[in-house]
Amino acid sequence: MEKLLNKNSFDSLITGLKKQGYKTIAPKKDNKLVTLEEIQDANEISLDHVITNNSIKEFFFPKTEKILSYTIEKNKVEMEEPEGFAVKSVIFGSRPCDAFSLPVMDKVFNWDCSDKFWVERREAITIVTVACDKCDSYCFCTSVGLAPDAKQGSDVLLTKISNDEYLVETVTEKGENLVKELESVFSDPPSGTPDRQVATVEKKFEIDKVKPWLDDNFQHNVWDEFSYKCIGCGACTFVCPTCHCFDIVDECTMTKGDRVKNWDGCQFTMFTMHTSGHNPRSTQGMRWRQRIMHKFKYYVEKFDSTLCVGCGRCSRVCPADMNISEMLEIIATEENQPVSKE
Amino acid sequence: MIEELRKKAEELLRSDTVKVVFGYGEGSTPERTRPVFITKPEDVNKLTWNKYCVYNLTTYLKRQETRKLGKPAIIVKGCDAKTIIVLLKECQIKREDVYVLGVTCDGVGEPLATKCKACDVNTPRIYDDLVGEKIENKEIPFDERYAELDEYEKLSEKEKWDFWQKQFAKCIKCYACSSICPLCFCDRCIVDKNQPQWIDPSAHPRGNLSWNVTRAYHLAGRCINCEECQRVCPVDIPLNLLNKKLAKETEKNFKYRSGYNIDDELAMSTYKEEDNQDFFK
Repeated sequence: MEKLLNKNSFDSLITGLKKQGYKTIAPKKDNKLVTLEEIQDANEISLDHVITNNSIKEFFFPKTEKILSYTIEKNKVEMEEPEGFAVKSVIFGSRPCDAFSLPVMDKVFNWDCSDKFWVERREAITIVTVACDKCDSYCFCTSVGLAPDAKQGSDVLLTKISNDEYLVETVTEKGENLVKELESVFSDPPSGTPDRQVATVEKKFEIDKVKPWLDDNFQHNVWDEFSYKCIGCGACTFVCPTCHCFDIVDECTMTKGDRVKNWDGCQFTMFTMHTSGHNPRSTQGMRWRQRIMHKFKYYVEKFDSTLCVGCGRCSRVCPADMNISEMLEIIATEENQPVSKE
Repeated sequence: MIEELRKKAEELLRSDTVKVVFGYGEGSTPERTRPVFITKPEDVNKLTWNKYCVYNLTTYLKRQETRKLGKPAIIVKGCDAKTIIVLLKECQIKREDVYVLGVTCDGVGEPLATKCKACDVNTPRIYDDLVGEKIENKEIPFDERYAELDEYEKLSEKEKWDFWQKQFAKCIKCYACSSICPLCFCDRCIVDKNQPQWIDPSAHPRGNLSWNVTRAYHLAGRCINCEECQRVCPVDIPLNLLNKKLAKETEKNFKYRSGYNIDDELAMSTYKEEDNQDFFK
């Protein structure tokens, strides 16, 4: 289904969503950041950025989340599972790369067991994506098989066709239902071929060339050399829409507690530290290699999908200017491929 | 100045005075530089110097990977050089193990970093060799040096509390602030100690408050105000306000500025009988 949405109708769109019982999450500008967060009013929406600082991940897999509460008495332990975590919502104005991260992550969160926190939120949340009309030098979606107007993962895709108008295309049944629920907000699509304002994202490397090199080069001096500057923080993994490692901790007293799931990241020294004190990934080079291998080799082998959507957030926030697409470019360009000294 | 820097680096490597030069190289965009580690004299052309050289490279003195490269020459601006002084005083490095290659600097960052607005160390106060035209270090009055706190200090206690609650709510516990900090050098950080669990690892209000406050307090009287923690925070928490406030209180109460004079005794780890706090006697 195709429709037209005028910027003037944002107000009635947000009011309509509220009436239908949806919580609305949209990009909002605050000082230097543009973040996806809950909004109450259409005036809060900001759409003139390249990409939001936070990824869509936190609405499905929050940075911290209680998965269980318990009380311990003399002869029994009582457990209580949280409820009401999946709230009917619309994420309005996410980018195609973020939307695509969802089907990629579905694979792991439904792999050997189905993660109800992820799955129930996936059902409760509808994704209305706005295609990118601009990009920056960190964007590389086109190198990982996506596009600035890709539809995968979105329920509805909006594409700018003039300063005030967006072409509305429904992608899934869920999206179609949403548009039907709010029918009066939309108007008929323009006749003829609209002028889609979509960014041109330069292709930086051939993804097909990456995995064969990784297959052969687990041992390679480039891992250390590239990562001397890495300071071992978790910024890249936490802003990444597809990094999904977590840690489980109990926050408790002697008699009661909460079991909590928190984001964790492979760039931390402690991530692989054994109780014995041995650390199988003892250097930052090994940890950097893990990040690349997981995204472009292991996940591909296991789930037939690259664990990277080319959003470029990791490189934008990196305190030491580590740049993931630069590494992949080196790997994928045969004549540039580093020669192993091993 | 770039040529002078490269020439000096080349000399140091050729003469085997050092094994590696920690410096600034071209970044992934024209508005960025990145740390580079030059081990061969023929690679010195990778070194650069411009207003985007914001990093405090002394942080690589704490990392085992870069330490393993051998004795470094490290390029430091006046502010970064203060870290060298603290690391020496806190017995983290030996003077002979580091070659301090000072550069004179009239400000970095675009827009200009806050620390540069009241800079009184344009020429480093410690170095083995200096590159660049020597700049006479100004004397800047106390109030002017802490001017960035003016607005913050006007807030009431409740307003301050609300301000920090809002700021810390954004924290994602990526620990970029402590990872980048050259003075956060504990082998095992307090957040990684879980018997007992001093600090909740969760990024919820309690966990975020205890982490951010503890980080700041562990730097009280030590932070040299390089502002790296604030620069790297991916969620834009104005961490430097905390550090600066603690530095101001330290200077007011103990007449001590961290990293400023190599002969000054450390504020937080020096015992003095005339200490005016009762619990000390």
